[in-house]
Amino acid sequence: MTTFLVGVIITIFFVFGAIWFLVNKRMAIFRKNPIVILSGGGTGGHVYPLLAILEEIKRRHPNYRIIYIGKAGKAEDHIIPKEGLQLIHTWAHPFEGIRNPAKLILCLVITAFGTLRCMIYFLKFPPLWVISTGGYVSAPTILAAIVFKGLFRAPIGIFLHEQNTIPGRVNLLFGKWVDRVFVSFEQTLAFFPENGVVSGYPVRQSIYCGEKKDSPTSLPFSVPSGRKVVFIFGGSQGARTINRAVVEALPYLFPYRHKIFIIHGRGLSKTEVYDAQRDTEARIARLDEEIRRELPNFYYAQDYFYNIQRIYAISDLVVARSGAGTISEIAAMGKPSILIPKSGLPGDHQVMNARAMKQAGAAYVLYENTTHDEGGNLTERIDGQVLAQMILRIIQDSVLLSTMSLCAKSFFRRNASKIIIDVIEGKAVPLDPKKVLASVETPPIWTNGRLLRSLQAAYAKNSSAYTPLEVLKDEDELEYFRYRVGRLLYDPNWEIRNIGVKLVGYLLHRDKIPHLAKMIEDRTPVPWWQRLLGGDYKEVGFIRRNALTSIRILGVFDTTVERAVQKALEDPYYEVRAEACRVIAHFSDMLAGKEIWLKKLLERLKDPSFEVVAEAAVAIGRIGIDNRALEALFSLGTHHFWQVREAALRGILSMLERHVICPSIELYRGLQGFILTSTDFVPHFPIRNTYSAILALCEERIRRRQCPSITDREKLFEENN
Amino acid sequence: MLYWLGNILMSLSDIFSFCRLVNYITFRAIMAALTAVILVLICSKPYIMFLHRRRILDQQRNTGLGLALGKSDTPTMGGILIIGGAFFSLFLWGNLSSSFLWSVVFATTWFGALGFIDDLKKLRKRSGDKGLSEKTKLIAQAAFAVGFACYVTSSLSPLHPREATLLYVPFLKTPLLDLGHGFYTIFIILFVMFVTNAVNITDGLDGLAIMPSIFTISVLGVFAYVLGNKIYSAYLYYPYIPGSGELAIVAAALGGAGLGFLWYNTYPAQIFMGDTGSLALGGAISTMCVLLKQEMLFPILGGLFVAEALSSQIQDKIGVKFIGKRLFTRAPLHHALQYRGLAEPKVVVRLWIVSGILALIALATLKIR
Repeated sequence: MTTFLVGVIITIFFVFGAIWFLVNKRMAIFRKNPIVILSGGGTGGHVYPLLAILEEIKRRHPNYRIIYIGKAGKAEDHIIPKEGLQLIHTWAHPFEGIRNPAKLILCLVITAFGTLRCMIYFLKFPPLWVISTGGYVSAPTILAAIVFKGLFRAPIGIFLHEQNTIPGRVNLLFGKWVDRVFVSFEQTLAFFPENGVVSGYPVRQSIYCGEKKDSPTSLPFSVPSGRKVVFIFGGSQGARTINRAVVEALPYLFPYRHKIFIIHGRGLSKTEVYDAQRDTEARIARLDEEIRRELPNFYYAQDYFYNIQRIYAISDLVVARSGAGTISEIAAMGKPSILIPKSGLPGDHQVMNARAMKQAGAAYVLYENTTHDEGGNLTERIDGQVLAQMILRIIQDSVLLSTMSLCAKSFFRRNASKIIIDVIEGKAVPLDPKKVLASVETPPIWTNGRLLRSLQAAYAKNSSAYTPLEVLKDEDELEYFRYRVGRLLYDPNWEIRNIGVKLVGYLLHRDKIPHLAKMIEDRTPVPWWQRLLGGDYKEVGFIRRNALTSIRILGVFDTTVERAVQKALEDPYYEVRAEACRVIAHFSDMLAGKEIWLKKLLERLKDPSFEVVAEAAVAIGRIGIDNRALEALFSLGTHHFWQVREAALRGILSMLERHVICPSIELYRGLQGFILTSTDFVPHFPIRNTYSAILALCEERIRRRQCPSITDREKLFEENN
Repeated sequence: MLYWLGNILMSLSDIFSFCRLVNYITFRAIMAALTAVILVLICSKPYIMFLHRRRILDQQRNTGLGLALGKSDTPTMGGILIIGGAFFSLFLWGNLSSSFLWSVVFATTWFGALGFIDDLKKLRKRSGDKGLSEKTKLIAQAAFAVGFACYVTSSLSPLHPREATLLYVPFLKTPLLDLGHGFYTIFIILFVMFVTNAVNITDGLDGLAIMPSIFTISVLGVFAYVLGNKIYSAYLYYPYIPGSGELAIVAAALGGAGLGFLWYNTYPAQIFMGDTGSLALGGAISTMCVLLKQEMLFPILGGLFVAEALSSQIQDKIGVKFIGKRLFTRAPLHHALQYRGLAEPKVVVRLWIVSGILALIALATLKIR
C-alpha cells in the first residue's frame, strides 16, 4: 500500500517536472517568432473586437504568429477563416446555471476536456500572449493558460477584454487570475478593481476611417436632397421588436415624408419563429393605401447592409440595439442615436450600455415593453407612435443633433487597440482602477429586493407625499427600474412576480394598472398537487393581495380597477377580501353613497374571517350615507372579536365626522349596545415615551440647524456600542 | 460534589450519619432545585445590569408585524443564567460519575454554545435576521445528534444494549418495535433537531418558552425517578434503567433555574433567554427523552412545542414559500393567538395552562398503560 502511494507520488512529481521542463523549453524555441493565441466567440460580438486588436498586433509585429481558438459551428468558424487566420477548435459548453445538475456536470466535463485539448495545443505552440474577449467558447483557453501560468510557471501573458458595461460570466470568473482585464466603460472597473484597465472598445480601422468620401450615389437607393436620414436596424439578424415598431411608426412619420428618409435594415432572420422580411412586408401591406403609395419616397428597406459604414455616414440619426459593438460603431461615427436595449440579457448589459450612452448625452433610450401578443405569447413591444414621436423630436432639432453628435464622438475612445497593445507590451502604465472609479459616477444597480426595501421605507415614512424619486437619483433611473419591474410581472416564478407587483406600486408605474387588475381577476388554476396543499390560482393569494395594495398606493380608480376590486371582494383568500375592503375605504371619496359598493360591503359583514368583517365595517363607515350602514355597524356591537367591534365604532366615528349622521337618541341607544371589554390592550411604557420625546426634540432642533449636526449623535451612538 | 463529600464523611465517622440524606434522590433533587432557584435569583440582577452596560440587547427580527413594539433594547442571552445556575447546582448535588448526567450536560453545553454564537452574531450585525444561517444551525444540531445517537447505541451507552434501539410508545406496555441501529440513529437525529428547534420557535413571547419547558422537564424528572427505581419501574411495568435516577436531579436543577429565570422573564420581560437559552433547553429536553426511552411521549408532553413548530414550518415552507398564501392566519401559534386579539400576557398564560394540562396527561401515561 505504502509503496503504491509512494510510487504514485513519484510518478506525479515526475510528470509534473517533465511538463514544466517541456513548457519552458518550448517557450524558448518560439521566442523569436512568438505565438499569440486569440480566443473568444460564440457570437460575432466577441469576435470582431478581437479582429481589431489583431490588426494592431499585425501592424506592430508582422512576425508574430496568430492562432485563434474557437468552437466548431460558431460565429468564429465563419469569420476567422475568411480573415486568413489559423483557427483551431476546442470543446466548450455554455454554463446554464447551477439549478440543473445534469447540465452543470455536462458543462464542467466538456469544459475540462476542452481545457485539456487547449493544454496540448499550448505544449505544441506555447503562446506569448493569450487574449480573449470572453464568451463561453474562450473558457477552456483561458483556463488552460491560467493552469500553465500558475502551475508550471510558464511566462504567458493572459489578457481579457470586456465589451459591455456588465461583464459576462467568463470574464467575471477569470478576471481575478489574469494579468489585465481591459474594459470598454469606466463603470465596469467596479468589477475588476485590481487589474482593470479602461481601453474602450476596439473598432476596426475600416469602420471609422475613409468611406465618408463615398457619395450616396453608390448606394442601391437614392436619398432626395434636403432630407434627414434615419437609419433603423436591429443587428445582422434583425430585431422583431424594432421591425414591427418601424412599420407601426410609418403612419405617424407619413406627414413628415418630405423632411425625412428612413433606411431600414430588417435583418437576415428567416427562422420559423420569425421571418424578418416576410413579417415586415406583411405588416406594411396592412397599412393605408395612401401611405403605401408614398412609401418608396421616404422609406427604403433591405435585409442586410454589407457596407454599413456608408449608411452610417449618410444618416443623421441611428435607431439600433445597444450591443457593445453597435454603440461603439455609432460613437465612432459620431452619430446621434435612439437605443432600444434588448431585454432579458444577463445583467441587463444592453440596458447599461444604453444608459452609459445616454449619460454621455449621445443617445436617447427607448425601453421595450413586455406584453402578450395577439397569440397570447410573451413578447417585447415598442409603441410605434412613441418611436415616431421620439424620432421627429430629435430630427427636427438641429442643435440637439449636433450636440448629441459631439457627445457621441467624445464618448468613443478612438485608440482602444493601441491602448491594449501598449499596456500588454508595458509601453503604457495604466491608471489605478480605484482612482478612475472614484471619478466616475456609477449608478447603483440595486437588486429588486434592495430596491423594494428602500422604497418601502420611504413610503412608510411619509405616505401622503411619497414619490419614488426620494430614493432614486433621477428620472432616468426611475424609467429604467420601471422598465425592469415591468418585466418581472411576466416571470414564471410567482415569488418574482410578487416582488414585481409590489414594486409597480412603489415606483408609481401607473401604466401597469390594467395588468394588475388582470392579475387580480385571473382565475387560472394551479396544478392539483398544489391545490391539495391549499393553493388556488396561478396568481397566488399574495400576488392578488399585493396587487390591490399597489393599486391603493397608485391611487387610480378607473373602470378596470373597479371590476377587479369587485371580483376581489369575492376572492377565496381572506387577505385579498380584506385588502379589497381597504382599497374601497381608501377611495371612499369617489365611492361614498354608491349603492352597489354598500351592498357588496354589507355582504362582507358575514365573512368567516373577522379581519374582512372589520375592514368591511371601516369601509362601510367611510362610504355609507344612510341608516342601513349605521344599523349594520350597530349589529356588530356584540361581535365576538373586539377588533370588529372597534372597527364598527371607527366606522360610526367617520360617519359622524362626515356629517352623514348626527347625535341622536338612536345613535346613543345603538352605542350602548356595544360590548366594550377587550382581550387586548396597547402597553404604555412611560419611560420609553419620555425617552423618545427627548430624541424627537433633538431631531427637530437638528433639523432646524439650532445645534451642531446629526453626525454628533451618530458618533455618540457608535461610541456606545 | 456534596454527594461525594457526604459519602466520604459518612464512611469516616458516625457523627456524619445525617449525610446519608445525600443518597436519597428526592432529597438531592429538592436541594438542587432550591439551589438553582436561589442562585439564579441572586445572580440575575447584577447579570442584567452587566448586559445593559455591555449593551447586549435584543436585536429585533424584521417581521413586518410590529407586534413586538416597546420591546426593543431588552437584554438577551439570559440562557447563560439558566445554564450556569443549573450547572452549578448539579456540580453541588449531582453524582458526577453518572454518564446520564454528563450526557445531558454535554447536550446543554453544545446547544447553548450554538445559541450563544447565533446571539453574538446577531448582536454584531445589529439585526435579528443576520444570525447563523438556518443551514449552519441545522448542521451543528445534526452533528451533535449523530454523535449522540452513536453514543446511545454503542457499547459505551448508559442504556442496556438490548434496550437502546427499542421504540416505546405511550399507553403501550411493550415496546412497539425495534428500530435497529440504522433507523434508530436517523430517528434520534430527526428527534433532537425537531425538539431543539421547536423550543427555539416557541421562545417568542415573554415567559412563553420557559414555563412549558419547566413542565416538560419536571415530568421527565418524575419518569427518571420511576425508571431508575427498581421497585417502581417493576410495579409500573417499565424497563428498569439503572442510574437514570440521576436525571431527576438534572431535571430538578434545570427546572429550578428556569423558575428563577421566569422571575425576571415574565411579562414585561427584563431579560430574554435568547437562542442560548432556548436551544440549550431544547437540547436538554431531547437528550433526556432519548435517555429515558420516552421519545414518543414528547408529542404529548411537549404538545405545545410541537404545535408551535409545525404551524411555523407549515406556514413558512408550504404556505408562504410554495403556494403563496397564508395557511394559518399567523404562525407560529402564539402569533396566531395575538392576531385574534389576545394580549401577550393572556396568550402566554393560556398556553401555560395548555402545556400544564398536556404535562398532566403525559404524567398519567405512567399508570395508564
